[in-house]
Amino acid sequence: MAMTRDALVQALAAIVGVRQVLQRPSELLVYASDGLPGYRKQPSLAVFPRSRDEVVAVVRLLARERMAFVPRGAGTGLSGGALADGVVLLGLNRLTRVLSIDAENRLAVVEPGVVNVHLTRAVAPLGLHYAPDPSSQAACTIGGNVAENAGGPHCLKYGVTLNHVVALTVILPDGEIVTLGSSDGEVDGYDLLGAFVGSEGCFGVALDATVRLTRNPQAVRTLLADFTSLDAAACATSAIIAAGIVPAALEMMDQPTIRAVEASIYAAGYPVDAAAVLLIEIDGLQAGIDEDVVRLQAICLEGGAREVRVARDEQERTRLWQGRKKAFGAMGRVSSHLVVQDAVIPRTRLPDVLRSIAAIGEREGLTVCNVFHAGDGNLHPNIPYNANDPDESARVHRAMQAIMQTCVDAGGSVTGEHGIGLDKLDYMSLIFSPESLDAMCRLRAVFDPDQRANPGKVVPIHACREWSQTAVLR
Amino acid sequence: MKEVSPSGAIHGLGGAPAPVGAVSSAPLASAPLSSAPLSASPAPTAVPAGPFDKAATPVWLAHNTGAVADAIREAGSARVALRVRAGGGWLDAGRPVTNATHVLDVGALRGIVEYTPGDLTLTARAGTTLAEIDDATRPHGQWLPLDPHGAPADTLGATLATASCGPLGASLGLPRDLALGVEFVDGRGTVVRGGGRVVKNVAGFDLVRLTVGAWGTLGVITEATVRLRARPDHCATLAVEAPGDQHALARLLRALREGPLTPIATELLDATLSAALGATAGDADAVVIRLVGNATSVAAQRRHVMSLARTVELPDTVWDALRRVLPAGAASVRVSHRPERLAVLWHDLATRTRDIPGCLRHATVERGVARCAVPAGHAEALTEVLPALVSSWRVVGEVLAPSAWSVLQPAGSDRLSRGVRAAFDELHLLNPGLMDATT
Amino acid sequence: MSSTLPSSSASARACAIPGTPLAQAMPGLDSCVHCGFCLQACPTYLALHDENDSPRGRLVLMRALVEGDVSLDDPDVHAHIDRCLGCRGCETACPSGVPYGQLLEATRATLAMRRPLPLIARLILGTFARPWALGAALALARLARALGLPRLLAALPGRLGFAFAMLRATERPLGEAPYTPTGDGSRGTVAVLHGCVMQGLFAATNRATERVLGVNDYRLVVATDEGCCGALHAHAGDVDAARRLARRNIAAFEQSGADLVAVNASGCGAMMKEYGHLLHDDPAWSARAAALAARVRDVSELLVAAGPRRGGPLALHVTYDAPCHLVHAQRIATAPLAVLSAIPELRLTPLADADQCCGGAGIYNLVEAETSDAVLTPKLARISETGAALVATGNPGCLMQVGGGLLRAGSTTRVLHPVDLLDASYAARVPNADP
Repeated sequence: MAMTRDALVQALAAIVGVRQVLQRPSELLVYASDGLPGYRKQPSLAVFPRSRDEVVAVVRLLARERMAFVPRGAGTGLSGGALADGVVLLGLNRLTRVLSIDAENRLAVVEPGVVNVHLTRAVAPLGLHYAPDPSSQAACTIGGNVAENAGGPHCLKYGVTLNHVVALTVILPDGEIVTLGSSDGEVDGYDLLGAFVGSEGCFGVALDATVRLTRNPQAVRTLLADFTSLDAAACATSAIIAAGIVPAALEMMDQPTIRAVEASIYAAGYPVDAAAVLLIEIDGLQAGIDEDVVRLQAICLEGGAREVRVARDEQERTRLWQGRKKAFGAMGRVSSHLVVQDAVIPRTRLPDVLRSIAAIGEREGLTVCNVFHAGDGNLHPNIPYNANDPDESARVHRAMQAIMQTCVDAGGSVTGEHGIGLDKLDYMSLIFSPESLDAMCRLRAVFDPDQRANPGKVVPIHACREWSQTAVLR
Repeated sequence: MKEVSPSGAIHGLGGAPAPVGAVSSAPLASAPLSSAPLSASPAPTAVPAGPFDKAATPVWLAHNTGAVADAIREAGSARVALRVRAGGGWLDAGRPVTNATHVLDVGALRGIVEYTPGDLTLTARAGTTLAEIDDATRPHGQWLPLDPHGAPADTLGATLATASCGPLGASLGLPRDLALGVEFVDGRGTVVRGGGRVVKNVAGFDLVRLTVGAWGTLGVITEATVRLRARPDHCATLAVEAPGDQHALARLLRALREGPLTPIATELLDATLSAALGATAGDADAVVIRLVGNATSVAAQRRHVMSLARTVELPDTVWDALRRVLPAGAASVRVSHRPERLAVLWHDLATRTRDIPGCLRHATVERGVARCAVPAGHAEALTEVLPALVSSWRVVGEVLAPSAWSVLQPAGSDRLSRGVRAAFDELHLLNPGLMDATT
Repeated sequence: MSSTLPSSSASARACAIPGTPLAQAMPGLDSCVHCGFCLQACPTYLALHDENDSPRGRLVLMRALVEGDVSLDDPDVHAHIDRCLGCRGCETACPSGVPYGQLLEATRATLAMRRPLPLIARLILGTFARPWALGAALALARLARALGLPRLLAALPGRLGFAFAMLRATERPLGEAPYTPTGDGSRGTVAVLHGCVMQGLFAATNRATERVLGVNDYRLVVATDEGCCGALHAHAGDVDAARRLARRNIAAFEQSGADLVAVNASGCGAMMKEYGHLLHDDPAWSARAAALAARVRDVSELLVAAGPRRGGPLALHVTYDAPCHLVHAQRIATAPLAVLSAIPELRLTPLADADQCCGGAGIYNLVEAETSDAVLTPKLARISETGAALVATGNPGCLMQVGGGLLRAGSTTRVLHPVDLLDASYAARVPNADP
């Protein structure tokens, strides 16, 4: 017999304290959405453990009572992945300790609620940083980054979260604690760590993460190239990669995005009359870096850039980056609503896919704001619109479908870094066969046979043959 | 994160090289499974020579993914276990495969399926050799920076299935970092695709990481997409004489790890290897470091390395030589800990294996992984020192005498690993015994 | 608030509270895209880690009020809106430009329609709204200070002890040494807001302000009958009182004929720069309010525009804490640092998280004591890490909150206004009018 809600609240409060359990509808409202507020799913209650022991006790209680739950970090995700639809929301944002820093081996052990940029700040005096830098790094948590396998502009050179997580202590949904990976040498066996990173909270809850730290480069150069056509900027991207230069980051912003940023508090001095800008960063040793800058400038100018500006100092560099990183938020100025999209295409298809996207926008009478990781071919076509206008909403919906289909047809994927969550469930069958989706379900069942952790996310439920044939516990 | 000793493992070597173009897709003959049911004895096919060469073992040659699936399904209904390989060669790496009465040979699955240089990705069938991939990508100034110890005739499938890599892995990516997508056939005979063909992808649960390093026990890799890198403009390889004193060695390694250098490989070699590769004249160990960058950068790095210790410049070919210098049939283990402890580990390993004739040791500095290989005839001597190594360090067995494996904890014995195995190969049809000691 | 497509349910909802200040401020809510970048900029979120106590959470509650998902009587809404410091640190983190400060005031005004403010808040605001009452209260405070009562009573437990510690913190760490300013008045006429608390407890700082402006070529004129700016009332939702006080000040400064109004209390400066918004729907006053607001400057802005001139050496170890209403509301971050750097031999150690609120926030430290302490604690720790002997900050609320906190913590570090330091520097060597 399942516990009543009141009894559950009491049992949770006994673990974490009364103030760490939220149950009234008005105080749960804010937890009904993440960084993608188009979805609202009210949790039945929310619990906020403050220590590892409390997390363990909470997860074990939920296991005993066979209650489903959704782990949540800072709620900055962009796929509705942290929404708890009538189930328990497990907030991990109060576990904010950096547990240890090992400068010599360049490792840090952190609790899941540590904010991404706080780790970098903590290790800065040692000349180190944490390389994955999602645009939300000032707010998002490492636990959330692990769940989503977060990327960021600098993952072009340094790799995504997966490449920087060495070991995890995980509590499985049934309450068992396991260690995945190793921080003191190699382990053999299946790469369960690799399977866990990016599992979007469906495989369990990370209690701590051992992550790799990266040496700060001796020298950094940040360039801003502005173009009078989107096409030229896209071609220049390919030319840079083809030249064998591996920039630390290679980002593109189109005119609507530039204008939104320039109107915001993060105005970076981007030229508002440019059709597109490329923000290019290279880093490495002091010796020889300026030769690479000259090469990059030449490639951009040959590719039709009007001007290539090199940031003069750290302050200008920060400003150029702030504009890029806050661009998504800045679009709040353009219109009352916004769809945020995330897709990946082979880099060489950038010019023609961008043309197709522009044509789709034109056909539907919509403005598409492109701000994306050009070096990775990771597109973010965002469309500001007014959701109160049913006709416009319908056009946005059609445009999004068409854009996603275009990217898939180009050989791409439906998400490069935001995750599937709730938002992209329907797109999964565009890129995976029923057999492959079923295989994913089988993998999930290893970690969570009852499907209690983040239910209903990542893989459409009907794709899981065995589960869809049996009653699913919710 | 496993390496495997020379020339392949489960997927083994390919057969005769197939012509490969820059963007090529060798047409595959449709070659269905032998018409005889699995329960009956199939038409015997030639099995290449090697330790697994059991003349009586029936072999099925699969020429395409569908045939692999058919074979596994039939094996399932007949309840016969399969030894998976790509063409032969070294099948003695890892725990002994038990009860595999049949061989599934996927060596004919070869050829590059797609390669667009501007995308820096390449898709190839599992039996394609690393050498073929190297030939295809070199003209475009690119490479797949996987340099496992062994012959470049290793197949892509074997390299990924065993997660093998060499000195480049520390900086340019381990197989798990470079694999973007896989197609595999699981133990049910289902064709599954994980990942994709783009460099960044978080769609769905990660079946790629799961398959890479699974030694073919969760599915038979039939095709894979990998990330390529641009070949460096300028390279320089320097050998630095390594001090015999443990503390002095630690200081040197630290200076190399923390100095103004961006090497793509830093490998510590024992005196025998150093001498064999011309890194040192006498009987000292050496650190061989491969510096990359533009001309100015390489020159500055070279000056820095030379300021640290006595240095000789080596040709870049020394890295290929290192891959080959290790004797075939050797028994080998990898011993590791945190990078900062490498000097201690190195000293301990050297002390314990000093008296084994023909023993070779080398270590990847950035990863803190040392590797020790002894000639086949002295495998027992390595077995004897294993318990002491296991008590202090992380030890991963590569090729060992059958009795030695009992010293090492089976990799797949935990609950999750058993669950994964059951989810993808419930009947233990694929390479039984390799990842567990239960069969 | 932005949304992806499935949000049609969230759109086109009828307004549940038409005609209220919050309903009018609704368009400001629409620019929030829910990105969450404000969370780490919010002192109450950092202290409590509940998103209801973050800007994003409070905006959700505001929207819920407008859309009728929660009622104006909902105690949770009141609790979380009350707990906001109003520091507006979120505004300098917000890429979408959500006018959070205005939304907060509109929300408080709307909630105040249903539920009176707590007694202590009403008492304090009532006092500030009446010059005679405020004058009496401040005179009493000065008397207590002169008698050394705060030194005895600051150790009392609870808010009472803290109040005395705050009062003690208004004692000047540096003596006042008047001198005759040498400037030529060429930069135009300036009237200084003497205000209420500043004049009552920091009169010497007001005098210093006039002297340093004089040294930097501003010609001082006096406005009569100016006083409390109304910020405390506006922040608490007592808009009517705020408007009354604003009108009085507008009239006073108009009459002074000054080109510019200099303000040395950043909370007041922020308020006065928003007089136009405060009186935007008052036909008789809106234009006058906007015109006056455009003439308001923080004293550091005026000083930096003029240099400022370098004075004599002060070998002091100082750190700078940015008042929220200077750095977030007025977006003035570097000017006070430039003022301090005009002092030879002054050693300035940067304060980590200087842009974080100290928890003072007007009368917040008296009505939300627990959260205020939780916000103050890290601030005191960061100050201690600098090892500085003095903390410079340009707002009376912050001076008293930080100063009181330091005293209660047994620290020897003292607080003062940056202008006091510049004034002491000039007292050591009055700069020549022709540098």
